[in-house]
Amino acid sequence: MQSIINSIIKNRNLIIYLFLSFVTFNYLYNNSSVHYSGLGKIGTFISGSTSSIYSYINSYFNLIQENNKLVQENLELKKYESQIIYKSDTIDISESKTDKTISAKVILNSINKSKNIIVINKGEMDGITKEMGVISSKGVVGIIKNITDNYSSIVSLLNTDLKINAILKNSSTIGSISWNGLDPRIVQLNDIPLSSSVKIGDTIVTGGMSFYFTKGIPIGRIEDYNNTSLEGYYSIDVSIFSDFSSLSNLYILQRTDNEEIKSLLNE
Amino acid sequence: MNRELVKDLFLSLLIVLSQLLIFNHINLFGTVSTFIYVSLFILYKTTYDKTYLILFGFIVGLIIDLSLQTYGAHTLASITVCYLKERIEKYSFGVNSTLPLAMIRGTQQTNRVTYFFLIIFLHSLIYFSLIFFKFEFALTIFLFTLINSIINFIIIWIISMLIFDK
Repeated sequence: MQSIINSIIKNRNLIIYLFLSFVTFNYLYNNSSVHYSGLGKIGTFISGSTSSIYSYINSYFNLIQENNKLVQENLELKKYESQIIYKSDTIDISESKTDKTISAKVILNSINKSKNIIVINKGEMDGITKEMGVISSKGVVGIIKNITDNYSSIVSLLNTDLKINAILKNSSTIGSISWNGLDPRIVQLNDIPLSSSVKIGDTIVTGGMSFYFTKGIPIGRIEDYNNTSLEGYYSIDVSIFSDFSSLSNLYILQRTDNEEIKSLLNE
Repeated sequence: MNRELVKDLFLSLLIVLSQLLIFNHINLFGTVSTFIYVSLFILYKTTYDKTYLILFGFIVGLIIDLSLQTYGAHTLASITVCYLKERIEKYSFGVNSTLPLAMIRGTQQTNRVTYFFLIIFLHSLIYFSLIFFKFEFALTIFLFTLINSIINFIIIWIISMLIFDK
């Protein structure tokens, strides 16, 4: 306390000068229109600059909340999207409803193996069951394989064991997507007959003829194809939309009518 | 000591009154205003308290502002000059800055000229900057400051010689 008082006494001239300057500026500001406008501009500039700096710093610290908010928004949009897909097509086994979408964060991921697995932070307690489809904001990611109370593992699209029903978006020709274990950006579309029309750049989406995904979820785009196969099928390379090296937020699709359809098939 | 203080106060009053009654109304060539009251800060003895000088500068500046309707320009120029006076003294007179009348006697004339001119120039610069208060007028501010500083320097130099050469 004594040192504060000493400091004030030592700097009294500066304190008095600053105080009197403030009083004078106040006098100028209130009485002269020129200074009112000039000081007003300076004030606006200073407040604008400091506010933008504050806003920038504040937004940095709020990134986590913003991110969560965006994930929730995405979740809502995904639900809405799946409802539109459901309503717009004719009903068959493939168009079962996705009436629940669960968001999750990736906690473990690999792309450098032949059987890549992704682990997420949601499990049975969050309503996740085996064989649910998993997508990212850009497209298909994989299928839930194992679950614990709080975690789940996903068989990634970059897993040589996984095959997903897919179609050419333009012609609705049915095929299946699998991975040959080489390039993590490229998967292979099989079973497309040579009689079909295929072009580089065509979009591949899920076919819907499975219990995992509804029809029309994007998978990738045709990067290259080969029609010299003797078996009568194209050999097509598909560049996948989802970037598996930087997966962060995933959405798990829950189809409520799966059990009903399965029971029908078992009869 | 008290007698000296009374004499200085009387002198200050005389200079302020001269400014209000005579020099406020003098405007040479349409650009030069005479501010002889700055001599009060120049001649304020180096041994007097600096805090009082700032308060004194504020009061004198405010009186001039009220009389000239300049809304604080003189006040701010005055308190700034008063606040920086000690540093200007040290810069101008060096080791002799502790002499009570260093600005008049006991020091080199070139040092005194530097001291006078620095205070007058600084006062004019702040005053005209506040009067024009726009970056577009930077050159005008500089020219007005220079011309006014030179004229006021001559007037204040003569006044100080008249007062102290008795």
